[in-house]
Amino acid sequence: AGCIVRAFAWHPHTSKFAVALLDDSIRVYNSNSATIPSLKHRLQRNVAAMAWKPLCASILAVACQSCVLVWHLDPTSLSTRPSSGCAQVLSYPGHSPVTSLAWAPSGELLLSASPVDTAMLVWDVSTENCVQLQWFGGGGVTYLAWSPDGSKVLAATPSAVFRVWEAQMWTCERWPTIKGRCQTGCWSPDGSRLLFTVLGESVIYSLSFSEYRGEMQGQVGGSKTASIVADLSETTFETLYGEERIGGEVHSMVWDPTGERLAVIIRGHADAPGSQTVIAVFRTRNSPVFELLPCGFLRGERGAQPQLITFHPCFKKGALLTVCWSTGKISHVPFFFVSAHVPCASPSRSPVTVMAMASASVREQPLFSEL
Amino acid sequence: DSFNDLYTSYVIFCILLMSVVILVISIFNAEFYAVVPSIPCSRIALIGKIIHPQQVIHSVVHAIMGMLVAWCAAVMTKGKFQFLAVPCTPSESLDDAVPQMCLNEYHLFFLLSGAFMGYSYSLLYLINNMNYLPFPIIQQYKYLRFRRSLPLLVKHGCVESLYFVRNFCVAYYFFGYIPKAWISTTMDLHIDSKLHPLDTLTGLLDLSLFYHAWLCGVFLLITWYIAWLLFKIYATETHHFPVQPTFAEETDQCLPKILNSNPPLIIKFLALQDLMLLSQYSPVRRQEVFSLSQPGGHPHNWTAISRECLSLLSDLTQRLITQQEAAAANGRAKQPAGELKVSPQTPGAVVTEDMSFQSQRSNIVPRASMSSLVKSSLMPLKTSPGSDVGSPFSSPALNCKMGILDVNSPWHGSVQSRHVMRRGPKLWTSGSDLQMNGSHHESFPVLSAARVGSEAVQPSFIYTWLQNKQEQIKNFLSKRVLIMYFFSKHPEASIQAVFSDAQMHIWALEGLSHLVAASFTEDQFGVVQTTLPAILNTLLTLQEVVDRHFKLPHVSSKPARISGSLVDTSYKTLRFALRASLKTALYRITTVFGEHLNAVQVSTEHKKRLQQFLEYKE
Repeated sequence: AGCIVRAFAWHPHTSKFAVALLDDSIRVYNSNSATIPSLKHRLQRNVAAMAWKPLCASILAVACQSCVLVWHLDPTSLSTRPSSGCAQVLSYPGHSPVTSLAWAPSGELLLSASPVDTAMLVWDVSTENCVQLQWFGGGGVTYLAWSPDGSKVLAATPSAVFRVWEAQMWTCERWPTIKGRCQTGCWSPDGSRLLFTVLGESVIYSLSFSEYRGEMQGQVGGSKTASIVADLSETTFETLYGEERIGGEVHSMVWDPTGERLAVIIRGHADAPGSQTVIAVFRTRNSPVFELLPCGFLRGERGAQPQLITFHPCFKKGALLTVCWSTGKISHVPFFFVSAHVPCASPSRSPVTVMAMASASVREQPLFSEL
Repeated sequence: DSFNDLYTSYVIFCILLMSVVILVISIFNAEFYAVVPSIPCSRIALIGKIIHPQQVIHSVVHAIMGMLVAWCAAVMTKGKFQFLAVPCTPSESLDDAVPQMCLNEYHLFFLLSGAFMGYSYSLLYLINNMNYLPFPIIQQYKYLRFRRSLPLLVKHGCVESLYFVRNFCVAYYFFGYIPKAWISTTMDLHIDSKLHPLDTLTGLLDLSLFYHAWLCGVFLLITWYIAWLLFKIYATETHHFPVQPTFAEETDQCLPKILNSNPPLIIKFLALQDLMLLSQYSPVRRQEVFSLSQPGGHPHNWTAISRECLSLLSDLTQRLITQQEAAAANGRAKQPAGELKVSPQTPGAVVTEDMSFQSQRSNIVPRASMSSLVKSSLMPLKTSPGSDVGSPFSSPALNCKMGILDVNSPWHGSVQSRHVMRRGPKLWTSGSDLQMNGSHHESFPVLSAARVGSEAVQPSFIYTWLQNKQEQIKNFLSKRVLIMYFFSKHPEASIQAVFSDAQMHIWALEGLSHLVAASFTEDQFGVVQTTLPAILNTLLTLQEVVDRHFKLPHVSSKPARISGSLVDTSYKTLRFALRASLKTALYRITTVFGEHLNAVQVSTEHKKRLQQFLEYKE
C-alpha cells in the first residue's frame, strides 16, 4: 500500500523489464537501449499484474481492471510512446478485475484469473478465443503460478482451498488448507515440488508431485499431504547492531529458476515492538533430496519495506534478485555461485549484472553466499 | 394422471419418431461435416452454395424433420392443437345434420412453423459454416467440454427460437392462405367461418399460440444443437496413433505412414493433432520418433514425419507467394475496376506461377529473393505507357524478363535495374527456360513458342484478339453495378479462404518445433541434426512470406469478434494464429539451441535473420 511500483516483470530471455507505476503507466527498461517506452492505454487502469510472453521478443500481457491488455511492442523501435493500437484487448463479460496472469512456458496460452470470477480463462491470444475453466464455490483466484516445466498450475482462492491444475487435460486437485487461504506459492524448476504458505501461519509447506510422464493423462499426481519444511516464527538474532527480532508471516516467496535460492518476504507482527519486514534468503536443492538451508537476510534502508521480489529468469552467473521497495526504489541483488544444473543456451550477450534505475539505485550490503 | 398420459401409445410413438428424427439429423451432421471450411468469396458464390443440390436436399430434409417434430409436439400437447381436422362449430341453421370437418388452423400453423424452423436451421447451418469442425485450443475430457457448452446452447436455442417464430408469423401473415387453401381442397375440409382465421393480425397476436410455437421451437433447436455438439466433440477427440507399430496389422495406422499417404482430411487433422500432443507431452513416443530402424539404422520415423511437415509448410509458402503475385499483377496490370479477380490476366503472371513451381523443386532458398525480383520486374509493366497486355510488344518483353529469372543465372540476386535485365536474355538461354516453356498450360499454347532473346516470336494474332475481346467484355461488365455487386470478391472472405486449412500448418509447426527442441537433450543418434538446415530454411522462408502477406491490404485487420456466440468462428482468425505459432516455433528452436545454431548450414540471408532471432529482435 502506498508504493509507487504496482507490478514488476522481467523478460524471460533478455535483460529487459517492465514496471507498472501507480499512475497506470508502464515503463519498459532495456539494458541495451536508452529509450524507455512508456505504455498508456485508456483501459489500462488498476494494473495488478504483468507478464511477458515466453519465446517472444516483446509481447507483454497486463492485467487491468476490466480486461487483459496484450501489448505487441516492436523490439527495435525507438519510440517512447507506443500507440494504443499496439495493444490487444482481451475481455470477457464478468471477468473483472483481473488480478493474476500466467503464460504457459511453451508460449501459446495465457491464463487470466479474477478473485470474483469462479472461472479461469485460458486464452489463445492470437485468435482471441478463450475457454472457461469453471468450478463451483470457493470464490475466484487470488494467485496463479504456472510450473516452469509447463505441466501444472497453482490457483489459490480466497477461501481455505487451493487447486492444482494439470495443464494437459485441465483437471484439478483440490487441496484444503486448515487455517487460512494460500498466500503464495512457487514451483521448483522441474515442476515436482510446490512450496506454499498459508495466511496466518509462519511456516513454509512443501508438496511434492510425481514426475510427469506422458502416460499419466488427466492426473495431477500430488502426494497425499504437504509437509512443513521451514518454520519462520519469530526468533531473536544477535547481530553487531544489537538484538534483532526477525520472523513472522510470509508475504511473498520466489524461487530462482536454477532452483538454488529461495527468497521470502517475512513480515513481523505489526504490534510487536522492533518487528520489521525483511527478506530471508535460503539455499535450496531439489534433487536427489529436497534441502532448504538458511542463507541470510536482506534489509533495505531505514523505513523501506520490501514489496515485490522476483528473480531474473536467465542470470548466468548465479541468481539475481530484484526487490521493489516501498520508497519507490528498485534494487538488484546478485548472488554469485556456480549452479549445479547444466546451463541452457541463452543470448550471446552477457547480461549486465546490476543495472541503474531511473528513480534511484540502491546498492545494499546484503549477506550473500558464494560457493 | 399425467403419468398415465406418458404411457399411452401415442406418446411412445412420438418418442420413437423423435429418435428417428435425431438419427436422421445426426446422419446429416456426419455427412456434411468439414474440417476445412468452405468460405464463399463473393455473393454469387454464396448463392451458388445455397442452391447447390446437396444443400437443397439438406434443407428439404430438415424441413420435413421439423414438421415431424412439430407434429409430435402438437399431438403431445393435446388441446386445440391435436388434430388437423376438427368438427366445425355448429352453424345456426338446423338443416346441417352431419357436422362437417373443418381445418384446424392451429395445427396447420404448428406444422408449418416446424417446417419453417427446420428450414431456417438448415439455412443458418450453411451460412454460419456450422459444418466446420473446430479443434479445441486446450484438450479436455468430453464430458467437461459438453457440460461447459450446455448453458450457452440452451440460451442460444431460446433466443433463436424467438426470432424464428417472429419470422414465421410474418411469413404466415403474407403467405398463410396458400397452404390453407391447398390443404382444404385436397383433404376436403372446410374453412371454419366462425373461427378467426389465423393469417390476420388479430389472429396472430394469440399469446398462447406464440408460446406453444416458441416452446416447440426451443425443444427442436435444443435437441438438434445437442446432437450437433455431441458430434463435434466426438469427432474432434484426440486419437492416439502409434508411432512404432507393435503388431503387423497396425502398420497402416502408424503415424508416419498416415502422414505420408493421402488419407481423408479428418484423419490427417487428427494425426497432426496427435503429433502436436506427443511432441509436447510424451517422452516415450518422442523416443520412438528419434529411434533408428533395425537392422539398417535409418531414422525412418523422423524422416517421414519431418518430410511431411516440411512439405506442408512449403505448400503453404507456395500458395501465399502465388496469391501475392496475383495481387501484385492485378494491382498493376489492370485498370482499376473493382477487384475482379479472374484467372491471371497477364501472361507474365502465369509464367511466374510456372517459374515458381519449377524452381521449387530445384532450390527452396532463393525463393524469397526471387519473388522480390519478380515483383520489381513487374513494375516496368506499369511504367511503360499505353502498354496493353495483349499487345504483341509487351508480352515477349515480359517473357524475356520472366525468362531470365532462373536460379542458375549469375544475374540472379544482383541485378535490380530493368534495363540490365532486358539486356540480360540476349546473352544466353539457359536450360530451365526451355524446360519452362515445355510446362506451359494449354490455354497459352502460343507462349511456349516464345524463346528468350532474339528468338522472341510474336504470339498469334487470334490469341491477342481474344484477349482484347475478353478485356473489353470484362471492362463493360465491371461497369454494371449489379454484376459487380454479385461478383466482387469480398476481400476478408478471400483472405480467409487462403488460410482456411491453416490449422494443419499450425500443428505441423508446433509438433516440429517441439520435437526439435526436445531433440537437444533427447536425441541419442543425432537424427534431427542432419535435417536442421532444411527445417530452418523452410521456417524462415515461410516467415518472410507470411510477413509480406500481412502487408497486403485487409490481411492484418481483425474481423469483429462476437463473444458468447454458439457458432465457432475461429476459422476467421486462423492466419493470426499461424503467424504467432510460426514465430513461437522459431523462437523455440533458437532459445533451446542458442549459439550452436551458428554452426548450422544456412544461407547468409537466413543467418542474418537467425541472428535477429537469437538476439530477440524480431
